Amino acid sequence: MGRQLANLLAKRLSISLLTLLLLSVLVFAGGQLLPGNVGRAILGPLADAASVAALNHKLGTDLPVPVMYWRWISHFVTGDFGTSYSFQLPVAPFIGHALFNSLKLAGVAFVIVVPLSIFGGVYAAMHARSWIDKVISISGLSMTVIPEFVSSIAFILIFGVWLNWLPVSATAPAGAGPLVQVYHLILPSMPLVFILFGYIARMARAGTVEALDSDYTRTAVLKGLTWRVVIFRHVLRNALLPTITVVATQLGYLVGGLVVVESLFRYQGIGSLILTAARGKDFPMLEAGILTVGAIYVLATVGADVLYTVLNPRLRGGGR
Amino acid sequence: MNDKFQWLRARQIANETQNHVIDEYLAGHIGRRGLLRHGSVFGLSAAVMGGLIGAPLREARAGTPGSTVRVAIVTPTGAINPVTVADIGGLVLLQQTGEFLIIDDPDLMLKPCLATSWSANKDGTVWTFKIRQGVKFISGKMLTADDVVYSIARLADPKQGSNALSAFKGVLDPTGVKKVDDHTVEFHLDAPNGNFPYLVSSDNYNAIIVPAGSDAGAYQKTFDGTGPFKLDTFTAGQGATFVPNPDYWGPKALPAHTQLTFFADQQSAVLALQGGQVDVIQQIAVQGAQGLINNPQVSIINIKASTHRQVHMRTDVAPFTDKRVRQAMALTLDRPAIVKGLFRGLADLGNDSPFAPVFPSTDKSVPQRAMDIDKAKGLMAAAGLSGGTEVTLTTEQLQEIPDYAVLIQNAAAQIGIKINLKIETSDAYYGQATYGNSDWLDSQMGITDYGHRGVPNVFLSAPLLSTGTWNSAHFKNPDYDSLVASYTASTDLSVQRATAGKIQTLLLDETPIIFGYFYNYLAATAPNVTGVKVNAISQVFLAGASVG
Repeated sequence: MGRQLANLLAKRLSISLLTLLLLSVLVFAGGQLLPGNVGRAILGPLADAASVAALNHKLGTDLPVPVMYWRWISHFVTGDFGTSYSFQLPVAPFIGHALFNSLKLAGVAFVIVVPLSIFGGVYAAMHARSWIDKVISISGLSMTVIPEFVSSIAFILIFGVWLNWLPVSATAPAGAGPLVQVYHLILPSMPLVFILFGYIARMARAGTVEALDSDYTRTAVLKGLTWRVVIFRHVLRNALLPTITVVATQLGYLVGGLVVVESLFRYQGIGSLILTAARGKDFPMLEAGILTVGAIYVLATVGADVLYTVLNPRLRGGGR
Repeated sequence: MNDKFQWLRARQIANETQNHVIDEYLAGHIGRRGLLRHGSVFGLSAAVMGGLIGAPLREARAGTPGSTVRVAIVTPTGAINPVTVADIGGLVLLQQTGEFLIIDDPDLMLKPCLATSWSANKDGTVWTFKIRQGVKFISGKMLTADDVVYSIARLADPKQGSNALSAFKGVLDPTGVKKVDDHTVEFHLDAPNGNFPYLVSSDNYNAIIVPAGSDAGAYQKTFDGTGPFKLDTFTAGQGATFVPNPDYWGPKALPAHTQLTFFADQQSAVLALQGGQVDVIQQIAVQGAQGLINNPQVSIINIKASTHRQVHMRTDVAPFTDKRVRQAMALTLDRPAIVKGLFRGLADLGNDSPFAPVFPSTDKSVPQRAMDIDKAKGLMAAAGLSGGTEVTLTTEQLQEIPDYAVLIQNAAAQIGIKINLKIETSDAYYGQATYGNSDWLDSQMGITDYGHRGVPNVFLSAPLLSTGTWNSAHFKNPDYDSLVASYTASTDLSVQRATAGKIQTLLLDETPIIFGYFYNYLAATAPNVTGVKVNAISQVFLAGASVG
């Protein structure tokens, strides 16, 4: 099994690297289609053309695109993320800080939503077609279709402004301890819980219903195992395999796709960093941000594959 | 005149141009406000003018010291570099620790800051500034004329990538900035300019004075200026905090701490104010902030401004080649209703020229254009278009502009002009910002946003002169060009106003651009905040602020 897993990993990771390289080319090329240039983005539409040209020359953004790309990628592969065009500061600390923030928010949302939705889905499956099943399924589905900008504002108004229970800013004051930071992240996590709960719960429910109907469950029950052992050892282990894949694919979104939530809750995550960089045509920042998110998507997918392999008895063990 | 001695004394101190302003006041040609504003341009001191009108002009500073003031500002789009900053997030940071030669107050009156006095020669081509003594930079260096020459000359230099170049172009060349002695600087202008002091005031937000030889790119590490605050922390993308500068030359700052936090959009700033996490919002637009404007728990700071939208019509493309069609278009707009609908009345009516009611030189006797559909239909018929016509209006997705575009579309339909709307992102609209590469400059009809200026000079030149670089209407009129040249050169308010009247009348007749409204600058504070001063440039002065 060890060698098989190693082979799988090596294959997946090399494909991933190729994907990321293609992504970096696409971002650079795609960015050239946007109107304007870096100097114009910094100085604004009303700046004198001579100033814009002078600034582009200073920044090195008046060079041919392939030259700019080569300059960037040749440094990037050595671990030098370069200097932001807009901020005139090194890119790496921005990415590090934003990534750390995004991981914190994703972590809090993850810790809330995964147990909650799996429990909800399994509970609904075990009481399939009862009223509680309907409540969980329908409310889960309804919550998923509410866009983040709607639910975020509703949460802010209810819990931040009217009840005044939770802070409306996701950023804790400087020097705050871990508990205070988590406290600031509860409100921003709620729209994410809304989006993901219905999705994950439905997967968990479907898997559990299927597992409960299976022959092996019937066998387990008939051979006299306790209900608890049947559920935990036989049902859940099989039922949650697809759920794990779903959860893993959502990790990328949770880390890199929260532009709206980050902006509404004033949180310096990687999503808003990418948005700002795209607006300013700040390529070193944009590339580093997108590749970071891309790497997380890729790693999450590879991780899910590995986990799936480890957990799935059919994909384990030597040859077939 | 309540005290003969006061004006006799004023006469003795004043130079010729300044005496002329005093004459204007005594003759009743200008009122008290006119004296204050125009006198300030020519460097009449507050003490002299206060004596003339019989009221001391002093700043009250009442609040309690020691507060922490939390301000929501717009996220700066780039580096905090005095030469390149071009956005309201960046400019408010420059102005926290940096100071200008002159401050342009919210009422458009110029107030000495690092310059103690200024005056022009007779034709307005050479302006002499006296620089304040005993001023220390945060880094410890003493302020001299060299610092002023360095700071201003590089902004006028085409090789520096300067955002302020468009303001200085044709007015001041870097070689025209000359040190006379350690505390005197002369500006030798390319052409006479009666409003030059505005260009070195806080109006030109890049023009903070920094130590000679300092690197603009490194400014964001030190924030080395002469202001009432000094930098505590700055985190790009997040915010900055400031503490009082113990060596400040003026009254010491009241707050113990100020926190300027960056917000990517207005909505989150509004929610943070409502949630009690900030005390002040730098700027709010009526769209999206209705909740604050109606909220008794929030104080709104409301300032008249020259911020506006220009609706250009290409004078070289049919059907707008005929000025009667342009006039007809302008006559369809119900301006009072537009101001009420889009701004809840917090705007002045525009009269199809850049002369906003807020400018002292505006000739208010020129009749306001009002909606007149019958007259508009008549003009269309006279232009041979009684059967109607079709045009495309291109504009940007920004604040109320798309709504304004729809109002114009509906209004034009009443006289048979079918307007097709093309609404795009600001980036796409401005494009390369040069003729042939920009929807802004090339479109048949369009709406463009213009920020506040303390004097109308830029509005009169770039979008309307034959040689203008932002002339979307492609308007070319030699009479207009020469009127603007004489307006700009004039150092005399009554002459400026007479010329303004002629320009206003000419533009009403030609109507290359519809100026529908000039909207107020709005900022918001929590009710327990006092002493915050803002101006329509979006600068926020916190030295006198207190909370609680």
